[in-house]
Amino acid sequence: MRRSFSFVLMLLVLAVPALLAAQDLTLPMKKDSIKFAVIGDTGTGDKHQLAVAKQLAATRAKFPFDFVVMVGDNIYGGNTAKDYDRKFAAPYKPLLDSGIKFYAALGNHDDPSERFYKPFNMNGERYYSFKPADGVRFFALDSTYVDDKQTKWIDDQLKASGSDWKICFFHHPPYSSGETHGSDETLRTQLEPIFVKYGVNVVLTGHEHFYERIKPQKGIAYFITGSSAKLREGNIRATTELTAKGFDTGYTFMLVEISGDDFYYQALTDDGKTVDSGNVHRVGKVEPTPNRSAQPVVATSGKDAAKPAPAKPDVKPDPKADPKTNGK
Amino acid sequence: MNVIRLFGACTLACAIGAAPAAAQTRKPAPKPPKPQVSAATREKAAETNANPDALVLADFQKRIEAYMAIHKDAAKDSPPLKETKNPGEIKSAQEALGARIRALRANAKAGDIMTPEIRNKFRRLMYPTVNPTAQDKLAPPSPVKDVPVQGTPVQGTSGKAVKADVKEELKENAEEQKEEGGKPVVLKVNAMYPPDSPLPSTPPQVLVKLPKLPEQLEYRIVGKNLIIRDVEANIIVDFVPNAIQ
Repeated sequence: MRRSFSFVLMLLVLAVPALLAAQDLTLPMKKDSIKFAVIGDTGTGDKHQLAVAKQLAATRAKFPFDFVVMVGDNIYGGNTAKDYDRKFAAPYKPLLDSGIKFYAALGNHDDPSERFYKPFNMNGERYYSFKPADGVRFFALDSTYVDDKQTKWIDDQLKASGSDWKICFFHHPPYSSGETHGSDETLRTQLEPIFVKYGVNVVLTGHEHFYERIKPQKGIAYFITGSSAKLREGNIRATTELTAKGFDTGYTFMLVEISGDDFYYQALTDDGKTVDSGNVHRVGKVEPTPNRSAQPVVATSGKDAAKPAPAKPDVKPDPKADPKTNGK
Repeated sequence: MNVIRLFGACTLACAIGAAPAAAQTRKPAPKPPKPQVSAATREKAAETNANPDALVLADFQKRIEAYMAIHKDAAKDSPPLKETKNPGEIKSAQEALGARIRALRANAKAGDIMTPEIRNKFRRLMYPTVNPTAQDKLAPPSPVKDVPVQGTPVQGTSGKAVKADVKEELKENAEEQKEEGGKPVVLKVNAMYPPDSPLPSTPPQVLVKLPKLPEQLEYRIVGKNLIIRDVEANIIVDFVPNAIQ
């Protein structure tokens, strides 16, 4: 028993530096910044989920994020108590044991009763918001079924929010270059006017099993992180003109750091390689404007995560990214 | 040069020959379901000068409300669903509520809520989303599916693209069922939805076409059938067989 424990410990000692060695974090790691991770389409319980989870845990040694945002499809397939363990509690055990909070949104494969599972921190609601620090508020939505009640809720919440950073996360992407699904235009019609009206800065989604950073749309930065356990290789279409950066040849997760007016992001693979990094810079405070057609709030840069981005959108490919990165 | 011409001629001949064969093997598109309204509804519509379809949908809402009255009654005597670290407790609460509802509607049978005319209405509501229409087939493929960057949104994705997405989601459901296994879903009113079976997703494009449900209930597409599932009790409330035609 003691020998096997020593063996496992030795393996861990050997494995952690190997995992860390592959990482090249570009995030500025400023004092008092808000640090979090984003994962999506995770709940398979298979080796790919485990590989991403392991890398995520290893990353925390270098980038001490406080919480993880889950953009849906948290439990695929069966929904028994064992499934919750195999597809969530076990893969993320090191993080859960360290007190890391997970905030989940419901995906199309999720049972809405998942909202009662305490580790998902949904307060028993299909849609909810939370404020990890002053100046930043997250809004989780149930994009599978957006009814009038939910649109009124998000409208009221955004209207009442005085936060500088308003970040929405949900499952279906309003903009996507995916061959399989593509942009969810019904959802876009329902939500985008509200997001624009109240100055939502960033939208985090999944559903498509790849990573994609969309060119800013009406001043909003959109990210898709749906390959934290499932992958659709070669699924990003080059013809949409939406992609600022795409990666559809490996499993990914995102790290984010918010400091002042900057939202620094880095997307990594399950073996720690960087596929995208950059900065979303908030230009100014937004007051709700009912007839706003576009809000000049967000500019993104995929060039250098450590420096503030220029005021106008910059969508040049990241030269630091992995060569396999799909820049379609 | 002659060889190239000969090759071209052969290719052309093959293509001409193959076209009718392909057309013969191609499955004909299913016909849209014909409206099926009962004599009683037709009579009532004539009396009140109402649209028969509107009466069918109003009847559906009434039946759902009646079910929800039972659900609420049953919930009073069942342990409430509340946040817990133990997923087993969520399942137990669902089972307890399911058992109570089952007892309160012990005589419920298929078609009590989804009557034949309501089933027919649902099939008709879903048909245009899950089957390409003649108009879709004639429409040229859209050169750009999405919006140009920072531009004005193009109004709607092509009908073809929506249908392809719906088809893909249904295919994904079938694959998931195959991968995960689990007990097969028995289409039976009051039956528990097998917890070890995947919950197939229902494409949002289909959901927006269907009448709204209270948040305790949801639609799920199982194979070609549409079920109404009580989320809090994990039971099948009623279903539409062959909803996808």
